[in-house]
Amino acid sequence: MKKLEEILKTWEPVIGLEIHAELTTLNTKMFCGCKLEFGAAPNTHTCPVCLGLPGALPVPNRAAIESIVLAGLATNCDIEKHSMFYRKNYMYPDMAKNFQTTQGPIAFCMRGHLDLDVDGANADERYGLADLKPGESADNITRTEDGYVAHVGITRIHMEEDAGKMVHIGGGEGRIAGATHSLVDYNRAGTPLIELVTEPDLRTPEEARLFMQKLRQIYLAIGISDCSMEEGSLRCDGNVSLRRRGTTELGTKTELKNMNSFKNLHDGLLYEICRQAQVLEEGGIIYQETRHWDPTAKRTIVMRVKESADDYRLFPEPDLAPYDLSDEFIESVRAKLPELPDDKAARFQQEFGLSAYDARHLVEHRSTAQFFEACMSDAERELGSAAAKLAKPLANLAINDVSGWLNANPDAVLDESPLTPNRAVQLVQLVADGTISSKQGKEVFAAVIEEDADPKAIVEDRGMQQVSDTGAIEAVVDAVLAENPDKVEQYQGGKTGLIGFFVGQCMKRMQGKGNPQIINELLANKLDA
Amino acid sequence: MTAIGTPFGAMSIRQLQAGLAAKEFSATEVAAASIERIERDDARMHAFLELTADMAADAAAKVDAALAAGSLADAGPLAGVPVGFKDNMNLLNTHTTCASNMLANYLSPYTATCVAYTLHAGALPLGKLNMDEFAFGSSTETSAFGPTLNPWDFERVPGGSSGGSAAAVAAGLVPVALGSDTGGSIRQPASFCGIVGVKPTYGVVSRYGVVAFGSSLDQVGPFARTVEDAALALNAISGFDEHDCTSQAADVDFTANLAEGVRGMRIGVVPAFMEAEGLTDEVRDRVAEAAQKLADLGAELVEIELPNAKAAMSAYYVLGPCEAFSNLARFDSVRYGYCDPGHADLGAQYEASRAKGFGPEARRRIMLGSYLLSAGVYDTYYYPAQQVRTLITQDYERAFQKVDCILTPVSPRTAFKFGEIGDPTQMYLSDMFTISINIAGNGGMSVPVGLGANTNLPVGVQLISPAFKDVNMFRAAAALESVYGPAPVAPQFAGTH
Repeated sequence: MKKLEEILKTWEPVIGLEIHAELTTLNTKMFCGCKLEFGAAPNTHTCPVCLGLPGALPVPNRAAIESIVLAGLATNCDIEKHSMFYRKNYMYPDMAKNFQTTQGPIAFCMRGHLDLDVDGANADERYGLADLKPGESADNITRTEDGYVAHVGITRIHMEEDAGKMVHIGGGEGRIAGATHSLVDYNRAGTPLIELVTEPDLRTPEEARLFMQKLRQIYLAIGISDCSMEEGSLRCDGNVSLRRRGTTELGTKTELKNMNSFKNLHDGLLYEICRQAQVLEEGGIIYQETRHWDPTAKRTIVMRVKESADDYRLFPEPDLAPYDLSDEFIESVRAKLPELPDDKAARFQQEFGLSAYDARHLVEHRSTAQFFEACMSDAERELGSAAAKLAKPLANLAINDVSGWLNANPDAVLDESPLTPNRAVQLVQLVADGTISSKQGKEVFAAVIEEDADPKAIVEDRGMQQVSDTGAIEAVVDAVLAENPDKVEQYQGGKTGLIGFFVGQCMKRMQGKGNPQIINELLANKLDA
Repeated sequence: MTAIGTPFGAMSIRQLQAGLAAKEFSATEVAAASIERIERDDARMHAFLELTADMAADAAAKVDAALAAGSLADAGPLAGVPVGFKDNMNLLNTHTTCASNMLANYLSPYTATCVAYTLHAGALPLGKLNMDEFAFGSSTETSAFGPTLNPWDFERVPGGSSGGSAAAVAAGLVPVALGSDTGGSIRQPASFCGIVGVKPTYGVVSRYGVVAFGSSLDQVGPFARTVEDAALALNAISGFDEHDCTSQAADVDFTANLAEGVRGMRIGVVPAFMEAEGLTDEVRDRVAEAAQKLADLGAELVEIELPNAKAAMSAYYVLGPCEAFSNLARFDSVRYGYCDPGHADLGAQYEASRAKGFGPEARRRIMLGSYLLSAGVYDTYYYPAQQVRTLITQDYERAFQKVDCILTPVSPRTAFKFGEIGDPTQMYLSDMFTISINIAGNGGMSVPVGLGANTNLPVGVQLISPAFKDVNMFRAAAALESVYGPAPVAPQFAGTH
């Protein structure tokens, strides 16, 4: 297949996303009092309501309504005061009532948007960017110095209930094909779900990935879901079609499923764009169908062909009264809106002089952003205005070391870890004032967590203080040079790569505690003299 | 059985509780004798589908214990009262069949709120009562387990869909039974069997645990032979239920104004209803007479119009089937209910199980609803039906600015014979006077006013209340009862001991 770069010259991809988030931070299901818990023994969190038993009735979870309003406010949506639940009728064993309770034409949240910062290599997939100067706009994007900002419309966010989980037995990899029988776990049935639908405003797989990433950050920031793509609490389907560049009519779209990671979302869409381009260029037809992204085989395969539009016989749910949200309620939810990632990043840039890049990465995770802020206030308490110069190293610590550690230890909780903000400040100070090298800093970072001790104590106990005393270092340098006259001769004959050898020898004598900068300087002075 | 020989089920609540309090008999005796009587006297009539003798005995033991400890009242307002439940009401560990083969073997894993409230009030649960399949019908002929016979005349239907409940009360097997009413399913059988039947305002009684037919139309209510018994039963089952968000807190005593009389009450009569096509002379005469009796007692008769009521039938046969189609979708043979064996394909299993598990009327309504909700058709039927619903509701609101209560026929005729009405649309006309009340949501009840001059069968009049002013119709009903007397036990059961 052709490369994307080639395809984009002829074709314009049009991508829209449908993103489901389970409101996992709630205690109970959408329409009954059953507990929400991932990984419980099958069918242990069920009752007549979520099992759809005859005679059972739904009672809406008020906290879930608050969550979706929060999501709407955080994504610039209009909150509809009057909306209602509908029944979407279709028969499948994972839906006990054989209808899903969802919303009709008017959802709780309508007409929102997110702006995406696409920069660096991420911007490469956008066609025609080079034609724009910074500040210039075309379509839904505005060129920036190192990329562009894309304005992506959100059609709606509606509330619905999740289905149960089907497990197919006997087929390959739990798939239904070839299965001898299927089991249903209704623990998930009735889990409150919000579905966000974007406008078809995305043009590159990278934009889709960034949108998903940004939405995840927002949902995490407002605390409505744990947003685990792996466990399925955040799920994304993509609608993709191609149209000839310069035309406006939409092509036939395919719906892509199983994009359960940011990488799969990007790679799945990329593949599908390339596949559609090839089919179209060979004179073929794109069928409206649902396709499954297989990350192992790196291709999409047909799940279901849609011959005609499904008729879900949607009608208003008579068991639930229409909603009438008051201004007071909406304002009370707005008051609970925390600082959102974009605002936080802007504040970090302004308050601490961080770069846009550092600020954006810091706010990717709420815990690291919080940690960074705690470190800064600790530093300011101790050092006053001198704390400012620690902002960059503390940001690096949070983005690199802390994030890395959290990724490697998914069960770890930063707040409860031995790495307190005070210790983090000590650590970056030890590096900043030259007491230890940045390489030793990594060692101390690991030791703080392992031994639950202060960085200063670790450095002392291990005798890690760098020797920066020029006199002491000079004596070592002289000794090393005197011991290796042949190497000195070779160096001075042009084999300057030997400098590493001399540094190593000096370090060895000083048990690694010599200030490498001073050693280098002294060696260079003496050898080049 | 008492010294005077009245079976317990033929007593009023007052009589029963007086006997219990005076230790003339125990609740345990009431339960045992009532079960025994049903086993003997209901064999042909077929009001009961299942008897719950053990549950009745357990409940009776509690009542007797309360009595022994001092006070009958401690056992609840319905202490010692035998009751039956329509078989669409869940009662833990009993069959809840909805009179359908689909649920012939379905055992309830929980108890409906209205049933729980009845038991909490100290009543003795005798069993589950026959009905039209899933409440689709006006004669109890669509029951998959065979019809119930009208206790006044075994060749005639008891009405429906709550025919079993009405027949059991009319035959004196129980003083009180619960039914449900979606378009007339309590009031019409009450009329056919000559007893009191109440469909309260939508929201007065919780629907939780009652197998849904038309969720926006269904309402649970009591059958009794006296207005007071019906009010006592409604007191017990009404109130807000956290499991039904359409239920309402109603801190109302429905017995409060039974003795007030109707002097000064404004009673609406609807001339257009009295001239309706299909209304028989004998029913018209009885209804007119009842209106006159109320006037004689001091009520003011006011002629009113309900101009949109004529569209109620059309709206009902759109909204009802649409909701039923969706409500009955859960009966898919997968987790419970009838499963046709031997299908390798899920779709084929669904189709065969539903084709065989549901009877013809259920299938008809499901298909009707499925069609009416489909793309392109929805806007033509469902949406206008909702608009009609608003108009009818406004009709009633306007009328109730002028009157406190409305008096109309219940059914255009007295009980018909089995098989007499074969055309479904003719059958649907049985509910021509009752349906608009479900559409609007306010309260309605049937009160017996003697026998028809031609058929010599019971005739009922319908009293209609403004929403959540159900006490108004009880007040007028009590006044009628003071003229006509409490409903008699059907003659052929009056002598049985």
